[in-house]
Amino acid sequence: MNRTLTVARMQFVAWRSVVGWPWAILLLSFAINLALFSAMGEKDDFEPTTGGLMSIYVVMFVASISAITMDFPFAIGLGVSRRSFYLGNVLHFVGQAIVYAAVLYLLAVIEQATDGWGVNLRFFGIPFLLVEHPVLRYLGFAIPFLLLGFVGIAIAVVFKRWGMNGMLTLSAVALVAVGGSAVLVTWQGWWSAIGGWFADQPGAALLVGWPALLTLPLAVVSYLIIRRATP
Amino acid sequence: MSPVVTVTDLTKRYGDVTALDRVSFTLAENRIYGLLGRNGAGKTTLMQLLTAQIFATSGEITVFGEHPYENERVLSRISFIKESQTYPSNLRVKHALRAAALVYPNWDEEYAQQLVEDLRLPLQRNVRKLSRGMLSALGIVIGLAARTPLTFFDEPYLGLDAVARQIFYDRLLADFTEQPRTIVLSTHLIDEVSDLIEHVLLIDQGRLLLDSETDALRGQVVTASGPVAAVDEFVRNGTELHRVRLGGTARATVRGDFGAAEHERARALGVDLVASSLQDIVVRLTTSSNGPAADAGSAVAADKEAVR
Repeated sequence: MNRTLTVARMQFVAWRSVVGWPWAILLLSFAINLALFSAMGEKDDFEPTTGGLMSIYVVMFVASISAITMDFPFAIGLGVSRRSFYLGNVLHFVGQAIVYAAVLYLLAVIEQATDGWGVNLRFFGIPFLLVEHPVLRYLGFAIPFLLLGFVGIAIAVVFKRWGMNGMLTLSAVALVAVGGSAVLVTWQGWWSAIGGWFADQPGAALLVGWPALLTLPLAVVSYLIIRRATP
Repeated sequence: MSPVVTVTDLTKRYGDVTALDRVSFTLAENRIYGLLGRNGAGKTTLMQLLTAQIFATSGEITVFGEHPYENERVLSRISFIKESQTYPSNLRVKHALRAAALVYPNWDEEYAQQLVEDLRLPLQRNVRKLSRGMLSALGIVIGLAARTPLTFFDEPYLGLDAVARQIFYDRLLADFTEQPRTIVLSTHLIDEVSDLIEHVLLIDQGRLLLDSETDALRGQVVTASGPVAAVDEFVRNGTELHRVRLGGTARATVRGDFGAAEHERARALGVDLVASSLQDIVVRLTTSSNGPAADAGSAVAADKEAVR
């Protein structure tokens, strides 16, 4: 446990760049959107929704990959066990997700209170999450961080353990799995049923429930893979 | 006193390539070892195995009485300064040092700062922008200030200028005297460290050629020069590793047990004896060890055939 905490702290030694990048990119995206929609002039019936919020999730996804590819060889070089590194890395990422989601939630509340920053802009509010329950709303910000983060970790540990061949195999398997199911679904004429299923799911299930269910096995599999990975 | 490291029949294969071939040895506490050998001999592989960075194909490893794999008790007492160590690209030198300070329980911050000053390391510089020599200097600071009971330096001097190398050797020796620990120094610059290392481990093509005290080794290998017939007569009591002929005279590098009696015999034969330098010994042993019969640990005995 002690070493786990050490690894998490170790990954924050250059905290300015760790915290700075995601928020700088998000701020930039927000500023551009705000300027754009201010310039367009306000219309009461027009409530623009942007995809700008995605930028912080993309940056965190990339960060989760580089945390493995770059920090893992460094940590192992300093004599940290793979177990401690993995748990510390997860702690480091989950910690960020918890805090970042809280900040986003707060910004969404401010956005609502200020009528979209005075120009009816909807930047932080998630459009298809039509739940008012505060906990679910918070999780709607937090869980996607975790899902993307663990997808990134899983990809990176496959690369660390099996190198380029591992990546190509993984891509091939993913291609066959996705393409194969598409063929199967089309052949059986299941598209409308699947569309219906998605439409029937409440927003919270799509943004919180299912991602959370996917995250768990990814976390376990990544741990098993990294235990035999070499730096 | 139980050894710090015990290795038994350690083998590492990468596909068809045998990087280490049934290597066995022990490392005692508080000594400085020289891990010598040519490029690709298996030195880095050996150190990576001992620190559980990579996995052995077969054989046993015990460090501080336990296997190092995923063993925090063992790993936190080792530091391994790898020549090819990479650092996260967002770190500056000061960040890398802070990370090391967090990880090593015995880290000496004051000493680290002193070393940074001596080696003129730019603390604010990003690690990606460091020259090869500065990267080496960073590794040296981490390896020395970590003050771990077992420290591996894998060619720590790459790109370092002569002054910085001397600072490293001086600091290493001074610090070792003050706080004894087990140090393994893998190096090509044998002459520079020959006064530093107390024990030599020589590997070649994955095999352990030599496992000997440096002092014992020095007397064991000599260069005998004189008339061909006299040299021929003299080397009969040893193992000839190398010979140069120049007209009627010969100069042979011989390994054997050269006590006072042997020196007397040489004088009587008219053969001039000079003790070989550690570097000469290593060069001669590794260039004359291509015999297929060479066996781990006792390969030298087979060299006689290989030379002839």
